[in-house]
Amino acid sequence: MSELWLRRSTPSDLELLPARTTPILLSDEQRRSFSERMRQIPTTSPRRLDAWGVERGGRPDLPFTWTATTARRIIGTRAAQRHNSSRESILEAVRDEIADQLIIASSGRSRSGSLAHWLANASHPSLGLITAEAVNWATQLLEASTLFGDSTHLCRSDAYYNISGASTTLRGRRDLLLPSTEGRVVVRVRSGAPGPSAGAGLRTDLFIDALAHPEGEAAQQFIGLWPDAGLLLLVEGTVENLRAGARSLLRGAVVQRRRELAPVA
Amino acid sequence: MTNTLSAFPLALALRGDRTQRPLRDDRRAQQLHDQLHQLLARSPYQPSAPLILRSSSLRAQTPSFESSELGRLRGVLVTTALRLLVNGVHLDDSFADVHEAWLSTQAAGPLRQSFELLNDDQRARLAADIRSHVSVLREHLGAIPSSWRPRTVVRTRLLLGGGALELRDEVDLVVGSPFEDVAALALLDVTTAPLGENAERVLRYHALVQTLRSGVVPLRSCLFSTATTDLWSRDVDDELLQRALADVASVLQGSEAA
Repeated sequence: MSELWLRRSTPSDLELLPARTTPILLSDEQRRSFSERMRQIPTTSPRRLDAWGVERGGRPDLPFTWTATTARRIIGTRAAQRHNSSRESILEAVRDEIADQLIIASSGRSRSGSLAHWLANASHPSLGLITAEAVNWATQLLEASTLFGDSTHLCRSDAYYNISGASTTLRGRRDLLLPSTEGRVVVRVRSGAPGPSAGAGLRTDLFIDALAHPEGEAAQQFIGLWPDAGLLLLVEGTVENLRAGARSLLRGAVVQRRRELAPVA
Repeated sequence: MTNTLSAFPLALALRGDRTQRPLRDDRRAQQLHDQLHQLLARSPYQPSAPLILRSSSLRAQTPSFESSELGRLRGVLVTTALRLLVNGVHLDDSFADVHEAWLSTQAAGPLRQSFELLNDDQRARLAADIRSHVSVLREHLGAIPSSWRPRTVVRTRLLLGGGALELRDEVDLVVGSPFEDVAALALLDVTTAPLGENAERVLRYHALVQTLRSGVVPLRSCLFSTATTDLWSRDVDDELLQRALADVASVLQGSEAA
């Protein structure tokens, strides 16, 4: 397996990262082969796989609930984009994002369980704390963007890839994009500190990002940035890393299947 | 270094005069990393699990004013109030609003359990306490412009020595960017306890951890007490960072002895 680069997240340490290589293309045959193997692992309910599940070794997560922490990435990322395009202050941009969600909720277009629905039912002080968390995220994202240089873009959405006939959706998180004439580098911003399975998570994100690319082009490098730890991890877009990402997802699907079949205590 | 705030807002003390700021120092962090690695290499202490240091590890071993459950609750609620005030949230009733905001982020945990075990008298005392601390904070904080890029409750988890040592920290308010030409990061910790002899160690620890995290030496590190309105503020320089390293070394030696 190719190397995992660990560096401190400072401008001088970024200069020590490996040079970008020519991007690898996933062929239609490779995509078909992966999808076929995923279809061979049956599931009784729609399956959603991502790097987080891989890092947790397929252990079931707690049921999702909206909190200030789970909402901060969506609101904060959109606010950072708004800040970049309109030059609104970060705080104003976050407030406007929340206001937009509240308008969606009041117009009756939000479904139960959605972010808009949850925000509409939050009290004024809770909205204050949600604002604080989103401001933190947006500021962190904009600082990460400054760290990687002027050509950095904020990603508009995560990478999604549906495998038809396997009831499976793959989701690859991505926050920043560093395009060049030859390819791209993708950055994912994370909280806390990298754990022992962080490399497996990055390879999974690399593979999903390549699957979701219209031409199957893998990122030249996939970087995980942990601002809380002042660290970054980098995997290169090599065939070995793409294969490792694919294997992790298949293993994750197998673990989920075993759990479905396990007798309930 | 010590100020008792009267009329001037904390916000001004944090940032000061831009023309007086030193140039951005992005070389010191590497030296500090090297020194910490040498310190760990010299240490015979070989932990089976990472040794975790927090600012509280640097405080004296005797129980302090803020270490009781009620003191921790008060601290958490005042920090929540700071987050709301910095983000321009109007508080109608400083206890009820802050309490509601805090509850919205708290799943069942020991602090929440402690709160629920309080009887009516204790709750009333806590409410009065919070109102008084928040009123002091509101009076002295001043407006923090969004252009200063304020972040509240900034957590850090630095893994050092191949994971043998973990420096954890939480600063209540960080303003400024590490990418400016001059030193611009300012750190503020708010405490509901009077500032004692350990407060300076906490100031230094925040400065050290932030330098290692961002790779840039912060402008200053401040500690504000809502109990006494004392503000301790230190410009971060090499001497302060070396003393912070010595504090960490003494805790490491204490762990070896234990």
